[in-house]
Amino acid sequence: MTDASLKRWSYTALVLPGVLIYAAVIVIPIFYSLGLSFTEWSGFGAPEFVGFDNYTTIFSDPVFLHGLRNNLLIVAVSVLGQIPIGFVLAYVLYRRMVKGRDFFETMIFLPITISAVVVAILWDRIFSPWGLFTALVRDITANPDWIMTISENRQLAIVPILFVILWRYIGIYMIIYLANLQKIDSSMIEAAVLDGASESQILTRVILPSMLTVLFYTSILAISGSLKSFDLIFAMTAGGPAHYTEVVSIYMYNNTFTFNKWGVGNAVSIVIVLLSVGLITVVRSLFGRVTRRYGWEE
Amino acid sequence: MANKRIRTAGPVGKTIAYAVMLLFTLLTVVPIIWLFYSSFKTHGQIVQAPLPPTLEPTFSNYVEAWTVGNLGTYLLNSIIYTGVATTATVFLGLSVGYGFAKFRYRISKILIGFFMIGLLITVHSVIVPLFIIETRIGLANTRLGVIIPYIAFGLPLAVYLGMAYIRSMPDSIMESARIDGAGYLAIFRRIIVPMSAPVMTTITILTFISHWNEFVFVFVLTSGERLRSLPVGINAFAGTLVNNFGLQFAALVIGIVPMILFYLFFHRQMKQGFAEGAVKV
Repeated sequence: MTDASLKRWSYTALVLPGVLIYAAVIVIPIFYSLGLSFTEWSGFGAPEFVGFDNYTTIFSDPVFLHGLRNNLLIVAVSVLGQIPIGFVLAYVLYRRMVKGRDFFETMIFLPITISAVVVAILWDRIFSPWGLFTALVRDITANPDWIMTISENRQLAIVPILFVILWRYIGIYMIIYLANLQKIDSSMIEAAVLDGASESQILTRVILPSMLTVLFYTSILAISGSLKSFDLIFAMTAGGPAHYTEVVSIYMYNNTFTFNKWGVGNAVSIVIVLLSVGLITVVRSLFGRVTRRYGWEE
Repeated sequence: MANKRIRTAGPVGKTIAYAVMLLFTLLTVVPIIWLFYSSFKTHGQIVQAPLPPTLEPTFSNYVEAWTVGNLGTYLLNSIIYTGVATTATVFLGLSVGYGFAKFRYRISKILIGFFMIGLLITVHSVIVPLFIIETRIGLANTRLGVIIPYIAFGLPLAVYLGMAYIRSMPDSIMESARIDGAGYLAIFRRIIVPMSAPVMTTITILTFISHWNEFVFVFVLTSGERLRSLPVGINAFAGTLVNNFGLQFAALVIGIVPMILFYLFFHRQMKQGFAEGAVKV
């Protein structure tokens, strides 16, 4: 066997298994899904072609639109909550403002290791009339009958879930920012100090620009993570009561497996893909604009 | 460290900093502590007085959760799914990474882009068609039917990390092995893999966490108790126990104990793994 053909065989042997598994699980299903999204199918018999009907059904369904709104709220909370708070915590630790950094790091990171299902059930109990939160509020407000009624409000029912999502993921961002802060070239900071820069100036002129790439990638992480939040919400409220806390992924699950509308379910699938790609493109162009405007090109 | 050069924060700043850190730490830890000591109470005790811990612990909660809740089976399944999928992901990440990093073929560029798109695709985009396909080919409701998707979703990051790491290995090592007559696969086995311990650790930790806590695939692609993993099992068992909080909490604690132990021993590596995974991306 020649050198060249040995090389080709080896490359194939090394790369093909991974590529095949990946294609079989991710690429093919998406195209299959695209096809099915244009049909009406109950899971039995043959699918029936209906063009864009499923898509129009989805976008005129108030349940879907409410779910979409909830998803966007989750994205907003993730990007505007987890990221800044994570950054603040990382900065506090980086600047050695407190002792016992390892301890704080370890504790705040802990929730991420707990499965979403456990987190969901735990917090559902904490907010329940017999839970920790309720007991504390009752003690503080001296009202022995207080219970949380926010889930009866269509617009606000999602708030407890937003809080739990925030609770669970702040640690990741803190760790990522901390690691990146530590990678900043210390000579840049020393130079700034020697030039007489104040802390806030160092923060805005030196530190934040170096973090721009990480901020970009963590925004993407936050967005794709928020669109994924199925496990936690499903286990906590299953989208209830009355679809108040439903998100698009649960809508998809219900349509497919509960109502047996597979065409619609697949259409929602495709919408989710388009949504993530769309949002990420928006973030990318935003970051591009910010970078160019402030001259922070790397 | 440059930190010593910047004026350290004054006492006001420090107090606020401590307050903030303490607040978030309590926020994180108190729910878990409450869960833990409440799991030793009976339902009646919890409902009447949620706040204080009990002086007469009820261990039967745990016994019952384990036996009635069938948590042993679920634990075993979680171990199988996570163990097999993580091992496969690590090795495939390295082998594909080696192919992309050191074999200069143009097709690698296309395939790399192919894999990177996977980072944007969520489980939900594929779960419905995957269910249909697996049912058609008879893979639904099998262990393999869960493990293969796990591997596929772990691959983009594993390949990326493996590729980046192997790329930084000097070509000369491989070239001299070639001159000595070693085939590429032998080089992979004898040189690349042993030298890749750090990135293998990172990939292992990241995929381990995501697989262990995974819910959707097992939930949709399997049915019945025999194949359930811990998260799905706990949702089925504990999620419906609205009348016995003590029992429910015991099940939850059993559900999180493996991960917490893992975390206590490996938290440094875990944090490093997460930071690295995101930094490289």
